[in-house]
Amino acid sequence: MTNELDCRGLACPAPVLQIKDLLEKAAPHALTVLVDNEAAWQNVSRLLEYHNFQVSTERQGSEFRVVATGKEGGNAPERRSAAPAVKKGESGEKKILVMVGTDRMGHGDDGLGGKLLMSFLKTLKEMGPDLWRLVFINSGVTLTAEGSEAVPILQELAGEGVQILVCGACLTHFNLLHKKKVGETTNMLDIVTGMQRADSVVTI
Amino acid sequence: MTNETIRLTQTVKGSGCAAKLAPGDLDRALCGLDLPVDPNLIIGLDRADDAGVYRISDDLALVQTIDFFPPMVDDPYSFGQIAAANALSDIYAMGGIPKTAMNVVAFPAKTLDIRVLRTIIEGGLSKMREAGVVLVGGHTVEDSELKYGLSVTGFIHPSRILTKRNLQTGDCLILTKAVGTGIISTAIKAGLVSPALTDKVTRAMATLNREAALTMQAFPVHACTDITGFGFLGHLAEMVVDSGHGAHIRAANVPFYPEALEWAAMGLIPAGAYNNRTFRGGFVDFGSGVAQRVQDLLFDPQTSGGLLIAVAAKAAEQLVDALKARGIESAAIVGEVVAAPIDRIIVE
Repeated sequence: MTNELDCRGLACPAPVLQIKDLLEKAAPHALTVLVDNEAAWQNVSRLLEYHNFQVSTERQGSEFRVVATGKEGGNAPERRSAAPAVKKGESGEKKILVMVGTDRMGHGDDGLGGKLLMSFLKTLKEMGPDLWRLVFINSGVTLTAEGSEAVPILQELAGEGVQILVCGACLTHFNLLHKKKVGETTNMLDIVTGMQRADSVVTI
Repeated sequence: MTNETIRLTQTVKGSGCAAKLAPGDLDRALCGLDLPVDPNLIIGLDRADDAGVYRISDDLALVQTIDFFPPMVDDPYSFGQIAAANALSDIYAMGGIPKTAMNVVAFPAKTLDIRVLRTIIEGGLSKMREAGVVLVGGHTVEDSELKYGLSVTGFIHPSRILTKRNLQTGDCLILTKAVGTGIISTAIKAGLVSPALTDKVTRAMATLNREAALTMQAFPVHACTDITGFGFLGHLAEMVVDSGHGAHIRAANVPFYPEALEWAAMGLIPAGAYNNRTFRGGFVDFGSGVAQRVQDLLFDPQTSGGLLIAVAAKAAEQLVDALKARGIESAAIVGEVVAAPIDRIIVE
């Protein structure tokens, strides 16, 4: 199914909203969008990449023809219908999401719990390419902040392509928003969407 | 008239400072003009700063500025407050005290009820009162799109002017408000923003830079500007280039609205951000760890943004503490001034 949207003559954010609407209603696997200004072109490209499309552009004078083709089956990350078919990555591996909601592992001795969690984070790389995302919430966010010995471990994981998401509301709560050293700030919608897309969710 | 809520942002093309003419276009319009000369003109167009300064006597100078723009929020009263706070900000950024103001209005009387204008001006007046400024007049034209702002005049001591061009090696750079208001305004226009966040951002934009300006008076501040249409990096680039220095910025330390980051990734970025990047991006080197969405945020045009203060390093932590103690919660050290490479901003 190919869709073509003519967004020429529209000022931002109208083109982005039209595409967003189409993605939500029709879930196309491929899409072509015409825009006639640079800001709209850049914004449209960002939105389509955000929805996991492969994006290319043909420039014709002052007009841009943005061609989006499906990556990972071509569906928007938050589309419920996308969930069953596109879970497996292209190489067939699983997507494991690890949810870290604490700064220690297990109950009993907190000092020991802290050490265990460091060891857990260090050992996570043994999951190999199946390790997809790490999500930090509640006191877990302290592990991503200045002064935590987890920071270099997480930076290494991030370097290997593991997505590290850190709850923004939690950072704010602990007054760490500006001390975060690794990962991207996220929100509950992202977290819930991630859980849905993952093959398995491991909660610590 | 119906009781339907007016959505001011739906009536205009550009929003707030995102509607500013692209910096390159402005330079082309102004470059090479034959300007009148006067020995008492301390700061004029030839070395453009936040406001112009004209010496009256050895201990008194006038500081003057004007700012007006289309609405970036839907509520008329809030729009008036934000436009006034934004206009007053230039005086504060120079280290001056605003004294008088005039309304500047373009109003579509055929499509908007005149009571809307009254509410906007009431919002503006509330900020003038807070600033201790008197309204002395104004000028209103009929136009197809609504615009509001102020021309402001203040006092300043001729030897205590804070310009953009006096960065000193080793200075710490402090930003007093979170960035991302341009992106959030775009998302407001798209109807995606919750009332709670709209309220929070509206209040931040309507907050005067007065407290920050008063607080920094007691510290060894070398340079200051306010962050508006050219975005954080655009305004910093002006400081760096005008001062013949460089800057190191730690992106993670720049205060921002987390929601804006998400909307940046979704392409809800005002055209002004791309203009800023086109025009000022050449001065900026991003480290590989700085995500695209963060880069977009740092170029996002701000409406009534915070002050960017260059202060001697030894006093920086104390200044941040003092700002926080005065309720300026977002204040943070975002980077430092370096001697070399000159004219470069390195963002990591």
